[in-house]
Amino acid sequence: MNEQVLPVATSDVPTYHHPPAIYRLAQLFRGLSVVVVVLLVVYAGTVVYSAYEVARSSPQSHGLSASFAPNDTVEIGGSFTLSNPGFYPIQSFALTARITNASGVFLGRLHVGPTVIAPSATDNFPVALYLPVSSVSAAESLLTQDQYLDVSAWGNATYAYLFPLSVTLTETRSWGAPFEGFAVKVGTPGGGGGMVTLPVTVTFTNDASFSEQGTLAITVVSSADVTCGSTSFPIDVPPGNLYDQTETLSLSSGCSPAGGQVVTTYTSGGTTLVLPPEAIP
Amino acid sequence: MSAPASAAPRIAPGYRIPSLGYRILVAALRLIPAFFLLIALPIAVLEFASSKGIALPISTAAVAVGGLALLALGAARYIAKPTRAYGPLSVAASLAGLVYLLYAISRSPYHLVIPGGSASVIAGYSLFLELMLIAPIFGIAAGILTTIEDARSPTERLPFDFPA
Repeated sequence: MNEQVLPVATSDVPTYHHPPAIYRLAQLFRGLSVVVVVLLVVYAGTVVYSAYEVARSSPQSHGLSASFAPNDTVEIGGSFTLSNPGFYPIQSFALTARITNASGVFLGRLHVGPTVIAPSATDNFPVALYLPVSSVSAAESLLTQDQYLDVSAWGNATYAYLFPLSVTLTETRSWGAPFEGFAVKVGTPGGGGGMVTLPVTVTFTNDASFSEQGTLAITVVSSADVTCGSTSFPIDVPPGNLYDQTETLSLSSGCSPAGGQVVTTYTSGGTTLVLPPEAIP
Repeated sequence: MSAPASAAPRIAPGYRIPSLGYRILVAALRLIPAFFLLIALPIAVLEFASSKGIALPISTAAVAVGGLALLALGAARYIAKPTRAYGPLSVAASLAGLVYLLYAISRSPYHLVIPGGSASVIAGYSLFLELMLIAPIFGIAAGILTTIEDARSPTERLPFDFPA
């Protein structure tokens, strides 16, 4: 390096005890620059440590359960906890999930937040997702057909005041239908002594995660929309079990079921679901 | 009206400039931690992320080039402290830091796709780096002031930078 030392380099030249203002100002800027770097490096270090601690304490879900709910829906409810063991708050935390079936039909959506999770705090977030299972809705197949559902979830948050974060997650989840393969078969009318009976066989598999404890009601309706006969009986079908039972209905005299249909309803805890009707040949 | 009190004597004992060899030695020693902080550590982190299949927000080449430029200018600035080149080199070193930070800001937000493709993360860090810009801006201001001071009075700062 070309050494161009300032002209005077001896110690016998009068100089000043107090630095001139321009020198002090330059030193002030240098000092502030160092302070800013040190503070931000320390801050970044603690942010990295805190973020690592947050990542280690992964969210915990609690008591996720499914059950039939009013308005022809299945409610998937529960809660999850999110811990923030770090030094900084998780701000504007919001989470949204959107469920569609394989055909792209929108089924349901859940949303959490926006909220703030304070440092060294654990927050509990209740969640409730309602999926339509009405036999007349666009998503009627949820009631009677196992399938895969597309789950799209995205979350936003700002960590440690300065770091916005956005997470997107897509995955496919299997859906177990509560009345998988639901079918009603009408047998040959029989009876005697002026009384006509009709055997009706109901089959399905409960592929849902919850038991079906309720009452199944079967109604035979003629082609003229006249009720020919009906019956109801309790059922208790644990998850994963096949239900296959034949019930015999007494038909009103003179009421022909041919060309009509069998309407089946399931009632449990004040909730009534209409299952897909079955035509009678 | 009384006359103002006479100012206290402002004579300083003088200064002693370290030899060029000594300054080169100290500058070289200062390079060691700076090298780890500016080059070795960031590249190790990037290489680790790359080995896990994670796309990098900034290339290792950019980190190496930027880090080397900052190290070289920092060392030159220290060695040239007793000379008139100190001010301009301070400005150049801070300017290099500024450009380096602006380049990093231009890479924000970082878009990370988790291997497998089912999840992605977008992380913004520009606000943090924008705050970091304060440091080189102050450094440039200090360098300009030193350049002006050296132009006006070439020996003025030496007793304070190199007290005897």
